[in-house]
Amino acid sequence: MAHLDLRLAGAVGLGKLAGATSRGLRLGGGTTMPGDVARAIDPRVLSKLAASAALGTVLVTGTNGKTSTTAMLRAAISDAGWRVASNSSGSNLVYGLTAAAITRANLAGRLGIDWLILEVDELSAPQAVAELKPRGLVVLNVFRDQLDRSFEVDQVSERLATAVAGLPPTSFWVGNADDPRVASIGVARNGRAARPGLLFGIDDLRVAHAALPVVADARVCPLCRSELDYSRVYYAHCGVYHCRGCGFSRPEPQVRATNITTGGLDSVEVELVEKGVGVLVKLPVGGLYHAANVAAAFTAATAMGVSGERAGQALSSFQPAFGRSQLASWRGSQVRLLLTKNPAGLDANLRAVMELDTSPVVAIALNDGVADGRDISWIWDIDLERLAVSRPLDIVASGTRARDLALRLAYSGLGQARIRVCPQPEAALTALAEAAVPGTPAPALLTYTAMMEWHRLLVRSGAVDPFWAGA
Amino acid sequence: MRAAAERLVLGLLYPRELNLYGDRGNMLALQLRARRRGIDLEVLTIGLDPGDTKLIEGCSGFIVGGGQDLDQGMVADDLILRKGPPLAEAVASGAPLLAVCAGFQMLGTHYLTQSGTSIPGLGLLPMHTDAGKERLVGNLLIEADADLGLRHRLLIGFENHSGKTHLGPGLAPLGRVLQGRGNTGHSGEEGAWQGSILGTYLHGPLLPKNPEISDWWLRLALARQGQAVELPPLDDSLEQAARTEAIARATRSDRWVGFRLQGGGLSVRRKFPAGR
Repeated sequence: MAHLDLRLAGAVGLGKLAGATSRGLRLGGGTTMPGDVARAIDPRVLSKLAASAALGTVLVTGTNGKTSTTAMLRAAISDAGWRVASNSSGSNLVYGLTAAAITRANLAGRLGIDWLILEVDELSAPQAVAELKPRGLVVLNVFRDQLDRSFEVDQVSERLATAVAGLPPTSFWVGNADDPRVASIGVARNGRAARPGLLFGIDDLRVAHAALPVVADARVCPLCRSELDYSRVYYAHCGVYHCRGCGFSRPEPQVRATNITTGGLDSVEVELVEKGVGVLVKLPVGGLYHAANVAAAFTAATAMGVSGERAGQALSSFQPAFGRSQLASWRGSQVRLLLTKNPAGLDANLRAVMELDTSPVVAIALNDGVADGRDISWIWDIDLERLAVSRPLDIVASGTRARDLALRLAYSGLGQARIRVCPQPEAALTALAEAAVPGTPAPALLTYTAMMEWHRLLVRSGAVDPFWAGA
Repeated sequence: MRAAAERLVLGLLYPRELNLYGDRGNMLALQLRARRRGIDLEVLTIGLDPGDTKLIEGCSGFIVGGGQDLDQGMVADDLILRKGPPLAEAVASGAPLLAVCAGFQMLGTHYLTQSGTSIPGLGLLPMHTDAGKERLVGNLLIEADADLGLRHRLLIGFENHSGKTHLGPGLAPLGRVLQGRGNTGHSGEEGAWQGSILGTYLHGPLLPKNPEISDWWLRLALARQGQAVELPPLDDSLEQAARTEAIARATRSDRWVGFRLQGGGLSVRRKFPAGR
C-alpha cells in the first residue's frame, strides 16, 4: 500500500501482542483482550479491517444457534474455495469481533480474506451493522434469554429490527419465517420502510406439535398485538401462525426445510428446498432447531454465491462448534456437552433426549454467574411437567444453583429418587458417566460458565482440546 | 382429621400476558402444597376474555405475575374496567391476592409514565409507581414484616424493574431490604401487604423458595370459606436447601462470583457487560 495507516497498524500490532500475552499468561483464550486494546488505540479498527475483506462481511445473530450457524456457514463458504475469517470462539460483543479480526490481520491492517463471517450478540447487532456495513445479516430467532441483561424480549426484537434497517441498501438479510418476531422485521412499520428478507422455514407436518408451550414469547402479533393463532408449532414459538387482528401470517419462505428425520441428539437429516430443487443434508448434531440453523446457513450461502448442491455437500460435513454438541469421554463413558442457556434451548434439548431409545440420564448444570444471567427463574418457564410424565428420566442436577434446579425438577412431578444433586462439576460429570448407558453418549446440558468449567475439567483429563486451539 | 373434600380454586390472572420471570412456579407451588395436605386446588385461568370476569366470583384467591411494559399496558384496561370490581369485592371478603412485579404495580392508585401521564391502577393499596430510567436488577433478600408471623422471616428472590413504588402512609412494606434494591432503590422497603393482599418485586419465582408465603395464601383461602386454618407442617428440606443456596449466592459479590466461576479468565469476563 502506498500509505500505511499508522494508527491502524499500531492498533493491530498492540492488539496482537495483548492477545499473545493473555494466552501466554493463561489468562484466557485471548478472545476479547486484543479487541479492548486495539479499539482503545483506533476506535475505527473494526470498520477498517472489515473493509479489507474482498467480498465483505456477513453477520449471524439471534438468541439461539448463532455459534452453530456461523460454523455451518463458514464450512459452506470455505468449501466453495473462499478464504474466510470468523470469531469461532464465540466471543460476540464488538470487542470479540474486533479481536477475531485482529488475530487474522497482518500488521498493515489487511485481513487477506474473501469473507468475514461473524456471529454477533443480539443487543450488539445495531452497532456491529453500523461499524461493519455487512453484505448480509442472518437473524435466527428471538427467545427470552438472560432477562437480567436484556430485560425484555420486545427490546431485543426492536434491536434486531434496527440492525436490519441499518444495513446498506444493496445488502441482503436472511430471516426465520417461522418466528413471528423475526418474520415481522421486514414489514413496514413505525415509519420504517419495508425491507423484504430471504426467508427460511421448516415445512414438515411430522415434526410439528399442535399447541404452543405453556410459556411462549410470541402469543401476540408483533405488529398489532392481537392474538396469534398457531396451526403448527415446531419449537418454542416457531411454527405456522396467523394474526386474528391484522392478518399478518407466516410468510412463504424461499428455503424450506422438509423431510426431516431427527435422531435424538446425535443427528438430524433434512431436505432443503429452494426454487423447487431439493438438497439432502445430514448433520452430525441433533435437535429440530438444527434443521432451522442449517436452513439459515444454506440460505445465506446461496445468497453469497454458492450453488445449492455444493452448499448441501459442505453442510453435511460440518463439525460441531465448541460446546455445541461436543463429544468427550470421562471415566470410560462418553458424554455430550450442550450449551443450554434459556427455556427454548432447555425445552428443545430435553425433547431431543426423550427421543433416544435408551433409558435416558441427563445432567443439567445451572450456574448464576454474570455470563449465565444471574436470574435463574427461567427454569420454571418450561413445561417439565409434561416431560416428567412422558418418560422416566434420571437427572444429575449440578451448578451453583443445583438445589434450585433440584427443587424445580421435584415440583415437576419427577420422583425425587430420580434426581441426584451434585453441585460440583467433577462430581456431576462422574455421576453422569457412571449412569451412562454404554454406547450412547450421556447428554450434559450446561449454562455458559458451567460449560467453561466442564470443558476445563475435560481438557485437563486430555479428553478435548482447549477451546482457543481452533480459534 | 380434617374433612377430605377440601377444595380451593386459584384464579390465575393473565398467565398468557404476565409470565415473564418464572411466575408459573407460584402456581405450581400452591398446587403442590395444597395437594400434599389433601386439598384439591383447581386452577382457573382468568384472561383478557370479557367472559372470564364471571369466573372471579368462584375463586378462593388469586395470583398475578410480571410482564413486559407492552403486555402490562394490554391488561391494564381490562383489569381495571372489567376484572377490578369483582376482584376488589373478593379481596375485601378475605380472598388472598399475591401480586408480583407488574401485578404489584397495578394494585396501586396510579402509575406515572416517563412523559408524566398518570395511568390509573386498581387502587387496592394506597401506593403509586413512577416510571424510572434506572433498571433495578439483581438478587433481592428481605426480612419480612414481623406482623406477617413467619417463622423464617428471610425472603429470597430476584428483582428486575424500572418502576419505583412509593407506599402511602400506613401501608406496611412486605419487608426491609437486606440485599438488593427494593421498591425505589433507596427507601429500604420492599413490597407491601395489607389484609389479604401481598405485593412484591420478588420473583425467582417467589413461592417455591419461600414456602411460608404459600401457606399464608392457603390459610387465608381456607379461612375465607370457613375451613380449618391449621395447616399441617410439611417436609420442606428441598425448599430449605434451595433457599439456603440462593441466600448464600445473593450475599456474595458479583466480582467474586465472576472470578471463581471463570477461573480469572479476563477475556471471558469482558465478554459480558459487568458492573450492576
